[in-house]
Order: sequence, then structure tokens, then C-alpha cells
Amino acid sequence: MTDVLLLARTHVLTAIRERVTLFWFLIFPIFLLAILSFVFGQLGQEGEISFEVSLVNLDRGAAGSFSEMIESVFDDLAQSGEEGKEPLFQLRRPTSEEDAGAFLDSETLAVRRGRRAALVVIPEGLGRRIETELVTIGPSHGAASSDEAALQIYYSEGNASSDMAVAIIDQVLAGIDREILARTGRFDPQAAIPSSTTWVGSTSEETRYVDFLLPGIVLMGLFTNALFGIPGAILFARDQRVLRRYWVTPLSVPRFLGGLGLGHVALSALQIAILVVFGRYALGATVRFASPTALLLLLLAIATFMAFGFLVASVSKTGTSSMAIANILNMPMMFLSGLFFPITGLPAFIRAIVYANPISYLADGLRASVGVGTPLFSTGLAVGVPLAWIALSAGVAVWRLRWDVGR
Amino acid sequence: MSAYRALLRAEVAILLRDRMSVFFMLLFPLIFILIFGFLMGDVDEPTARLGLAETGAARPLPRDLLAESGADELRDFESAEALRSAVRDHSVDFGLIWDGETLEFLYDPSRIQEDYAFQQIAAGITDAVSLRAQSLEPILSAEKTHVGTEASTRWFNQMVPGIIAFSILSSGLFAVSGHLTGMKDRKTLDRLLVTPMPPVALLAAIATVRLVVVYLSTLVTLFASIAIFRLSFSIDWIAYTLLVTSATVGMMGLGTVIALLVRKPSSAGNVANVLAMVMMFLSGIYFPVEFMPRFLRALSLALPLRHLTDGMRFATGVTDMSAARFWLIVVVFLGGGLILFPVLARYVVRPQRS
Repeated sequence: MTDVLLLARTHVLTAIRERVTLFWFLIFPIFLLAILSFVFGQLGQEGEISFEVSLVNLDRGAAGSFSEMIESVFDDLAQSGEEGKEPLFQLRRPTSEEDAGAFLDSETLAVRRGRRAALVVIPEGLGRRIETELVTIGPSHGAASSDEAALQIYYSEGNASSDMAVAIIDQVLAGIDREILARTGRFDPQAAIPSSTTWVGSTSEETRYVDFLLPGIVLMGLFTNALFGIPGAILFARDQRVLRRYWVTPLSVPRFLGGLGLGHVALSALQIAILVVFGRYALGATVRFASPTALLLLLLAIATFMAFGFLVASVSKTGTSSMAIANILNMPMMFLSGLFFPITGLPAFIRAIVYANPISYLADGLRASVGVGTPLFSTGLAVGVPLAWIALSAGVAVWRLRWDVGR
Repeated sequence: MSAYRALLRAEVAILLRDRMSVFFMLLFPLIFILIFGFLMGDVDEPTARLGLAETGAARPLPRDLLAESGADELRDFESAEALRSAVRDHSVDFGLIWDGETLEFLYDPSRIQEDYAFQQIAAGITDAVSLRAQSLEPILSAEKTHVGTEASTRWFNQMVPGIIAFSILSSGLFAVSGHLTGMKDRKTLDRLLVTPMPPVALLAAIATVRLVVVYLSTLVTLFASIAIFRLSFSIDWIAYTLLVTSATVGMMGLGTVIALLVRKPSSAGNVANVLAMVMMFLSGIYFPVEFMPRFLRALSLALPLRHLTDGMRFATGVTDMSAARFWLIVVVFLGGGLILFPVLARYVVRPQRS
């Protein structure tokens, strides 16, 4: 038993001492968790995301006009509500010396070049047109008018920040619309149709992005750890004839595997613990992995990925080629599994890959078990497919894996 | 010149024998394109299937408002419970229960990446229904004008030049921090030192092979994305060729800096790999830089991959930039690489200490 424990200890210490391994094993998952949480966890949240928007009011003149009111709403949105938070819009306006036409040209170019998310223009006569609309509007008229009161928005379609800024401006305009109608006594805010949000699924609360992401990152870490770690540990030791030295001792292959497996499980447990602690205390994740189902699924994931590592080792000629094979498999298997993107709505042949991928079932099951997702697959599939992969990988490894360069 | 020709032949032979390297350099970017192309095909224009359950039959919801809401498809449900099940099993993307008095929107919390878009549509529906209920219509509208380039209408259009930029970065970086340091580690360079071979000839041979392979790889990636995903680009071939050339040289310069900074030549490849991966996420390739917190936005400005990505988007006609900035990018990459060439030559001839 001592030899198994010693081998396990060696495996853990070697992995931790190797700075590159440590990066991929720990630092990279933490970096990815942090960066994706920073980026996608705050999408659309005021104070966390800010857009550079230009505003030109060409309808100056009448004090207290609707155009001035629109301008002041944008001004308010350019003020940060809380200290340390960014305002929704970083507003650029022409200075008193600047020619409005020249400003319009330069800002249109800035939008085209992606330096500005959008340019909003309050056209000349907008206030008057709103007044005209208000006169003609009525219960039986609607807002039909040949001279429509319209703000001009210049944006760059396909530029994600520009598209998002325009979606936000649309909401701002809807708010201004109601405000104008309410101020002029046409719209009764008290009689507005109330709306509510209900979350239906595994939880009745909104899921935070970090809670959704954390199980995926944990699985990603476990997968890369096994995909690169297991073939590397076996094949580099075989190539450098370290294994040959083992075999002249009383150590048997099963005991070597026992030590390697135990060490790998210990490393995986350490990896899970560090990621969960970082997610919870640095990023505020609330998701809990302490349920029996979640723990069993994590164990199943470790076993599946470890078996997959043996599969890669058994089809590789050398340690170097195993790293290349692992590199080729790594990205497609991770991205085509639902770890980071939803897997619904994919083309049929891509869906076939997703359905053959054990990570898809483990991700689906783990998310459901920690309460951040409605399972797409039945429990039988969530457990059965990874088990089938374990059986297949073990079978191939028993058949093909060679334990010595000379044998 | 004969040394250059001989080394060029040797470099080509080494590359062709190493099928794995050829695969990584030529076809790996293609794997990214295929994965993201299929994954992001619908993300650019998310499908929003709205399920509707009208439980207050006396006052039906105006259908024209729902049609204009941005929801791509509207499905009716007999009961609120049937709608809840449909949202839960993803038969519809989000739901709306209308009892004649209130609007109740249903979302699945696990669809965290899409719920934001559904909520935007829901907010629009609420506003429109509220106004209609008081026999009003919006008085203020927005005239939207797209002022971006013709090619830029989908985010995936912007992602492809980013992936190409990343493949240039990797190839240039690993030409030194990988290939050359590997030669040093295996003491191949030490053996070459006792020949009359000038180190510049070796560097020029490596750079030539990398340039050709990178150029081919970028073309394969570009044309595959056009053929498979029907993306459109407006490529300025002169700008494109200049950028690929200067960036490959520039990234070789960056590889030189890494090779000089790390103690063991064998570690240079690992350091380059780590740096490339970190830069990939902070350079606006997969998500816009504007979505990042302020400190990361500032950090991204210091990353060469950010400027290479911007330059590649310009050269492929996806985004616009000033000619001055584009030329500055080209000059900085080319100048940086060329200035570091003699340094790299000295690195080549520096004997390996064991």
C-alpha cells in the first residue's frame, strides 16, 4: 500500500512543482472564470458596463422644450449613480466653440470606426413635431403623422457594443415617450399595465452568471487536467524509460495505476476545492456542490476524464504526440458540450457530436444537481453515457496501451 | 545566399515531415472557425420564440404589438401551466401570460446567456401594451442608420479576422519561442555554429517558411468562413498582405523577447503559450473589449494582439480605422521585429550553457 501512496504523492508533487502544469491546471481556469464573470456577468447591468455615446441637439432654442427634456435624460444617464461605478453612457457633446456639422461628421466616423457605440441626434424641429403629434393624438387618432417625431441614431450593425447601446437607447426612448405623454396628461402612469417576471425551471430565482459558469469551469479544469495529465504522466515516463526502471522493482502495473489514479483524484479534489473557494469568495458564487448527487457526478466526471486520458495515451505513440492529440481534442470537446454556450438550436451534425460528447451529459447533470439548470437529458443518459465512455476507454487502453518502450 | 537556400530547403523539409505542426499551423484556425461558426450562427440574431397563454379571454392581447416586438415566432398555449412546461423544456424561449389585466413574463433561469435579450423584448411589449391600453401609440420614434462597413453585420464577421490574427500571433511567436528555442535546447544550433552558416540566414529561412505557411493558413481560414458560413469581406489585399507580413515578423520579435527573458530555452514555448492564451481573451476576439471592466480595457490597449485584431478587421473590410493608425500598426510590428532581428541573431549564436 505504501508504494501506491508514494506514487500518488509523487504524482501530486510533480504536478504542483511544474509551473506550466500549475498554470493550465489552476491559474487558467481561475483566469477564465474571472474574465467571463467580469464580462458576461454584468451584461446590461447599470454601473458595470458603460458605452461611449455622442449626443447632438440641433433643436436648441425654446427653453423647456421636449428636445431639452430628451437631452437632460441622456445627461442623467451620463452621471454615475454610485461612487466607483461607471455611468451607463459616457456622453460626448460638441463644445460651444465646436461646429455642430463638423462634430456630426467626426462622430459618425467615430461610430464607423468603433470608437463610439452610437451617435444620437436630436434633429432640428423635433420639439415642435412632438407638440404637433400631441395635438393630433387622441383615443381615436393614434399617432399617425406625415411629419414623424424621430430621433436619429447612427450605429454600426454587427458591432456588439453598438447593437447593445442601441437596444438600451430604445428603452430610454420608450421611457421618454411615456414621460412626455404623462406630463401632458395623456398617459396615466397609475393605469399602466403591470408586468412581472417569473422564473420557471429548476429554481424560481434568477440565476447569476457566475453560478452558471462555475460548474462548467470546474468540469473544464477536470477535463484538461486528465486529458493532458494522464497521457503525459504515463507516456513521458515511458519515453524517458522511467517506467522501465519501475518494472524491475516489485511494483506491478495495477499498483502503478492505483498510485496514478489516487494522485489524480487528489489533484482533482484540490482543483475543485480551489475553484469553488475562488468562485465563492472572490466572485460571489452561491452555487453549492455539497449535495450527494453533485459529489457523485463530480466523481463520475473525474473517472470519465481519467479514462479518456488513458484512451488518448493508448492511441499515442509518444508523449509529444499525445500532447498534440490532446490539443486537437481539447477545444472541440469543451466548446461542443454546453460548458460555455447553449447547445440548443445547433445544426444536426454538430448536435450529433454534442450528444456523443460525455462532457455534455456531465455538464447538464452537474448544473441540474446544483440547481442552475433544467436537465436536458434523463438521469439514465447523464450517467449512462459517461459510464459507456469509461468502458470504451478502459477497453481500448487494456488492448493498446504499452507500458514499456521495449515491449 | 547559398546558406539561405540550403537552410530554407531544410526548414521546408523539417516542416513537411512534422505533420502535426503543419496541421496546427494550417488547419487549427479552421477548427475554431467551424466551432464558433456553428455555435454563434444564431447568437448574432438570437431566435426568440415567444409562448403566449391568454387566460383573460375577454380582452385579447393586440397581436400586431407582439408581431412588432422582436419575437421571431409566436405560439399560443391553452393554459398557463402548459406554457410553463414549454418554457421549462425549451419548446419556447420565453413565455407571456396575459390575464386581461397584467403581463407575466416567464423565463428559464438556466438560459442565462439569452435571457437578457428576451427581457429586452419583454420590456418593449410592456411599453407598447401599456400605451395601447390607453388608446395611445408611441409619439417618439428612432430612425436608425447603419454607418459601419458593408461587411460588418454579424459579430461572427468580426470574430473571423480575430481568429486569423491569433493564428498569426501563435505562428510568429512559436517560430522563435518553440521552434528556435527547441533547436537550441536540442543543441542543433551549437552544431550549426561550427559551420560557416551566418545566423541571419537561418533566421531568414525560418521567417520565410513561417510567412508562407501563415499566409496560406489565413487564406484557408478566410475562404472557409466565406464558403461555409457565407460571410462577406471586403479585403484590401495590399493592406492584408502587409499586415500578415509585418505582424509575423513582429511576433517573431516578441518571441525573441520571451526567449531572452526565460532561463531555460525549453520553457520559452510554454511561456509563449500562456501569453498567447491570456492575450486571446483580452483582445476583443471573442467578445467586445467594451464589455470588459475599465482596468481590463486599459490593459488590452497594451496587448499587440488587440492592435493586430483591429488591423485585420480593417484589412478585411469588417471595421474601419484611420489610415494613419493602420500604418502605425504595420510600422510598429515590422520595425519591432526587424530591430529585434540582430538581437535574435546574437541569441542564435550564443552558446548553450548546460
